[in-house]
Amino acid sequence: MKRVFTVIFLVSILGVILAAPYNTTIRVLAWDDALTQALKAGIPDFEKATGIKVVLELIPSGNLLQKIGVSVSSDKTDYDLVTVDEPFIPSLAHLMMPFDRWGNGKVFKKPPLNVFAPNAFEAAQWGGVFVGMPINANVYIWITRKDLINDPKNKSEFKLKYGYDLSVPKTFKELRDMAEFFTSKGIYGFAPFTKQTEGSTAEAIFMFEAFGTSPLTADGGKVVVSLDEKKAVEAINFYKELLKFAPPGALDMGHSERIAAFNQGKVFTMFQWPALVPQHEDPNNSLVAGKIIYSAPPVGPVKGSAIRGCWVLAMPNATKNKEAAAEFAYWWASLETGQKLIPKGFTPARADLLLNPTYNKDRPWFKAIFDSMRNAVARPRFVKYPEASQIIRNYWLAAISGKMSPEEAVRKMKDELNELVKK
Amino acid sequence: MNSTSSSRNKRGRTKFGGVSPHWIFIAPALIIVFAILIFPVLYSIYMSTYDWHLFYSSDKKFVAFKNFVELLKDKEFLHSLWLQFGFVVIALPIETVIGFFVALLLNRDGKFYTVVRSLILLPVFILPVISGLTWRLLLQPEYGMVSFFLEKMGFGVRAWLAEPDFAYGMVIVQDVWRMWPFMFMFIYAGLSGVPREILEAAQIDGASFWKRVFKIILPQLRPTIATALLLRLVDALRIFSEVYVMTGGGPGNATMLLSLYINKQAFEFFNIGYASAMGVVLLIIALGLSFFIVGGNIKFEGERG
Repeated sequence: MKRVFTVIFLVSILGVILAAPYNTTIRVLAWDDALTQALKAGIPDFEKATGIKVVLELIPSGNLLQKIGVSVSSDKTDYDLVTVDEPFIPSLAHLMMPFDRWGNGKVFKKPPLNVFAPNAFEAAQWGGVFVGMPINANVYIWITRKDLINDPKNKSEFKLKYGYDLSVPKTFKELRDMAEFFTSKGIYGFAPFTKQTEGSTAEAIFMFEAFGTSPLTADGGKVVVSLDEKKAVEAINFYKELLKFAPPGALDMGHSERIAAFNQGKVFTMFQWPALVPQHEDPNNSLVAGKIIYSAPPVGPVKGSAIRGCWVLAMPNATKNKEAAAEFAYWWASLETGQKLIPKGFTPARADLLLNPTYNKDRPWFKAIFDSMRNAVARPRFVKYPEASQIIRNYWLAAISGKMSPEEAVRKMKDELNELVKK
Repeated sequence: MNSTSSSRNKRGRTKFGGVSPHWIFIAPALIIVFAILIFPVLYSIYMSTYDWHLFYSSDKKFVAFKNFVELLKDKEFLHSLWLQFGFVVIALPIETVIGFFVALLLNRDGKFYTVVRSLILLPVFILPVISGLTWRLLLQPEYGMVSFFLEKMGFGVRAWLAEPDFAYGMVIVQDVWRMWPFMFMFIYAGLSGVPREILEAAQIDGASFWKRVFKIILPQLRPTIATALLLRLVDALRIFSEVYVMTGGGPGNATMLLSLYINKQAFEFFNIGYASAMGVVLLIIALGLSFFIVGGNIKFEGERG
């Protein structure tokens, strides 16, 4: 009897192994936030469906590029899939397998790129080739205090003073007026991003683009410095004007300071990255949870812009688990996974999920992500982007803080960018 | 050990398989030193001779000393070197002076002094990264305690760490706050070794306090202070985490000390070869300064005075 049971047991194990389409382990490197934590929760389902064991390594986003740098080369890789912040796609493209060479998937089907929010899939493109798959629709969205806008006293006073209705700021002029109005009432009009990090570069490019200029453009594969000095100075001067309506210490504000100020009800309006929205909507940590309107950023004097920062799921050329890695990527991007993981904090890149009314009821920022994505602008697509980013933010911060005149800062920014491009 | 595997040399020492026993005893230490010290240094020197971008490792090119020549033309590097030099020249003497006088003050018997001496050491045990974060919070414009007092003194609410000169000053203040007890610890230990009879004799002979300090105490403490300075110097040259979390090298590049600039080149711009060249320069500077401090100040047993 004992022997019979043993045989049955072994046969069943063998059956399970043979039934599973794969029997392998893949290693995935990703950034750590609410989205990837939610993803973690779904991995057992994926493992059950495919027989692929997933080792998901989550590290702070700021360290991810370094980790990729030391873990992935042209002939060796510690990971089968890595997530790359889109400005760094040009630097890493040569190490990654083009998306059209990924398999079709046995269990989860390869999604066409048009299922993603408009412009999001462009994040994965470099030199005319898609080197991965956009995995979240990360883009500047605008957050505004609903309760302040709907207050009848605020409404009437604002209309009396400025001659038009108080609402979510739709243009830079409205943003300036409303910021001024609320600052005079003891609520800071606007919270900037001024820390010495990538966020300040994003802020600079957002403003430059809204005023109709870009620091660098790729011209037929060649990168050229394209900053229009006059427009750039106008952008800086406008931002300096906004800083008058910002909280104390406006020149040293990063994510934590901005979130704290907004959550304490001290700020009327500001931009935010979608990944940080749950912190504003957590009633245990935010006085303004449920009191926020989400929209696309206000339109600048020349055009609407929203900085895009999509994460791209890329497969190193050197991986030995191409098929299994692709299965995981397709599972991540699938409609079913999104439906299952959105309640756990997942932010999708798929247009059908971002526009789904059911999800938008509880997560009104999904629609704002989709709307912002229409005007999304990328940071310079450039192999030497990290150096360029440093130059842009150094002079941007010097100018907005008054350490340097806007004219001098823009001139020096252009000079140094030109030097970098020539190197 | 049988006679086939061991033999005696002319001096009568036993050899094992032709190898002197002292080599066998120091071999583990030598292997460890080679693995964690010599090899990384040699590898850094090797990398510094290549034009090597981390993402293009397969395309690295041998450039001999080109990276070092580039360094001399790199304004950012020279600026970082200057800031690093300023940091060492300002912070270390202040820490030494405070440590010296506090050691003099607390060089007394009694429970009170024992307790105070122990409490004073607390900042040294705080992790640099925690110290940096704490000072960042202290200087936070709205909630920071230091900012609060500065506001009360009429300076207004300002983002102090966004002011280049102030940020650099505060990086030094943070280091002095954390590390002066380290100097105190060494100097106090040295002070305990200064014979009391000499000091008492000088006092009886009418030597003033300053005369005793300069003519007796300081000469006696010279090797101790030199050792402490040497250790602090090594530490100060590789200062990184506290500045990284406090200012990130900013505003602009106002606090971009050398180790931060090396980190930036290596892990933000991924110019590994160039960053290694900077590391080699830092190593040479550290060695040069160490020889300068050690030479003439520290004598080992058997050396002629």
